[in-house]
Formats: sequence, C-alpha cells, structure tokens
Amino acid sequence: MTDTLQMLATITVIALATFATRVLPFLCFGSREPPAMLSTIEKNLPPMILLLLVIYCLKDVQWLAAPYGIPELFTIGVVAGLHLWKRNAMLSIFAGTGLYMALIQLKVFSFL
Amino acid sequence: MTEKEAKRHETGKGNTDFFLSALKTTVPVFLGYIPLGMAFGFLIDGAGYHWIYAFLMSLLIYAGAGQFLAVALLAAGAGLTEFAIATLLLNLRHAFYGLSLLDKFSDVGKVKPYLIFALTDETYALLTTAEVPAGGSKARFYFYIAALDHLYWIAGSVLGAGLGSLLDLNLEGMAFVLTALFVVLTIEQYFNSSVRFPFVAAVGAGAASLILFSPENMLLISIILGTLILIGREKLGQRDTQLNESVRQVKGTRQARAAAQPVQDSSQEES
Repeated sequence: MTDTLQMLATITVIALATFATRVLPFLCFGSREPPAMLSTIEKNLPPMILLLLVIYCLKDVQWLAAPYGIPELFTIGVVAGLHLWKRNAMLSIFAGTGLYMALIQLKVFSFL
Repeated sequence: MTEKEAKRHETGKGNTDFFLSALKTTVPVFLGYIPLGMAFGFLIDGAGYHWIYAFLMSLLIYAGAGQFLAVALLAAGAGLTEFAIATLLLNLRHAFYGLSLLDKFSDVGKVKPYLIFALTDETYALLTTAEVPAGGSKARFYFYIAALDHLYWIAGSVLGAGLGSLLDLNLEGMAFVLTALFVVLTIEQYFNSSVRFPFVAAVGAGAASLILFSPENMLLISIILGTLILIGREKLGQRDTQLNESVRQVKGTRQARAAAQPVQDSSQEES
C-alpha cells in the first residue's frame, strides 16, 4: 500500500513537472511579446540539449574496459550515417536499435 | 430534408473528413509511438511494475524521454525532489516549443490547456508543419492530432507492459532506442537551424561533466554548464554586434545623406 502511494505520488510529481515545462511560456508571455534575449536562447538551447542527451545516454559506458564503448559508438555512427543518407527517422531509430541489440546479445565484440 | 438538416448532415460529413485528415497526418507518429511506447512498457515491466503504472504514466505524464528517465530513477531509488528536478531539466526544451506556439495557440479556445499538456516533440513537429484543411476549425484539427498521438503512446506502452509479462523476451539493449532517437533529433536540429555553436558547447560541457561528475549528476551539470557557455558567448557576441551596428549606422547615415542629395537637387531643378 505504501509502495502504491509512493508510486502515485511519484507519477503526480513527474506529471506536474512535465506540464510545468510545457505551460511555462504561456504563463509568462500570455499577453506580452517575448524579449529579444529569449529568442536567441530559444534558438541555441534545443540543439545543445539534444546533443547533451546523446552524451547522457553514454554515461554508463565503461570506456576503459572491453568492449571500450565500441558497440555504442559504432551503432551511433550507423544511426547517424543512415539518417544523413535517408532522412527517415523511423528507419534510423529502429534499424539502429535492432543492430545494437544484436551486437550486445550476440556479444559480437567479445573478441576485444 | 429541411435546409437545417441538410446543413447538419454536411457538417457531420465535414467532421469525418477532418478526422481522417488528422489521422493521415499522424501516421508517422503512430509508427513511432507504438514501438517506442512498447519499449517503455517492456522497460517498466522489466523493472517489476504492474502494467497499470505504464497506463497511468502515459496518460498523465505523456513524455517519452521523461518516462524512460523515470524508470531509470525508480530503479535507482531516487527521491521526489530528484524526480522533479530531473524531469524539469529534461523537459525544459518543451518550454521553448511553447514560445514558438504562443501565436498559433492564441485562438484555439477551450482545447488550449490540453494542447499545451500534450506538447511532445512529435506533436509539436506536426502542429508546426501540418496545414489545417480548408474550411475547418484549427482548434479541432489540432485537438485531433494531439489526442491521436496521445492515444498511440498510451496504447503502445500498455501493449508493451502487457506483452512483456506474457513473453519472456531478451530485451538487453532495447533502451538504446532512446539514444537513437536523440541522435536523429540532433541531426534534424542540425539541418533545421543555422546555429552551429550549441553543438560545440554541448560536446565541451558534456565531455567535461562525463569525466568530472558522477553519471547521475551529469545531465543536470552539463545543461547548466552548457547554458552558461551559450550565455557567455552571447554576451561577447552582443558586444561585437553592437560595435558592428554602430559602424553600420554611421555608414548608413552617410549613404542616406548621399542618396538624399540628388533628389533634393532634382526637386530644386524642377522648381
């Protein structure tokens, strides 16, 4: 029971925090024009955050032990290459994920 | 059939077409959200949670990356404050989506709160790209798109959580779908905007945080660090532009005077 309440409280907090980020600009600029500085941040922050999220996904990789993060870097290379070539988001995402799962589960880089 | 009935019939038919048009617009998101939602469902099922939580999270939170992060934090036994801060930071980009929709959302009426709630990356992309069919209500079209996307996400996650408990699949590496999604979105950002410095800032801030801080704190610190780098550069750039602008203004005034001169001359000649 305590676990259930804890879980519901957690979901509520995440839901409110998520909604807060989405409603924020509407609360701040519902009636007035956004300042100029904000528009430059608006332009610069999203690309930076997305690349940081890619790096964040690699936070648990053991770079100094076999297989030295090679499956991750190799698959990211394939995803990026595929996407630059075809520009098909679904193809890049699912082909990449399938490849990574195969590399990991079949231990393709175990010779390292 | 009276004229009124005929009109009502017309509107009904229009609505169906309208809904079909929204349905067609959301097909790519359907193809993405079902498997991605399933990946989330698998993940939360694998972490040992009942499928009802997959349903509740997708219904009430409705944020892809945010929900994946939530599962990771649940596994790490994080506290409520950590959940709140991590979610705020991860989804802060959504605040910037809203900034560019202030105008578009200003006249949508009572569906506005829902449209804001349902503003995921994919829905944002559709709402900013898709054209409202001729003669239709923008509010209704936007609502259909947002609600359909939301429905796909809920369906996918419940399906994943349900199937995960039926099949004993080997899902090692499945979470890589998120990495792949971010790689693709980063490339799209690269093509869609002309700015290049944010990528440099991200590599610098990300690498530094990865080396210097623990994996759990890395995202928070790297975003703060990166934002400081961006603001710092912006301040430096502003000083440069101000200089350039004052030079340009002086030049501009001179040119304006030069341009005004012959006109004055000719008017004098005419008189």
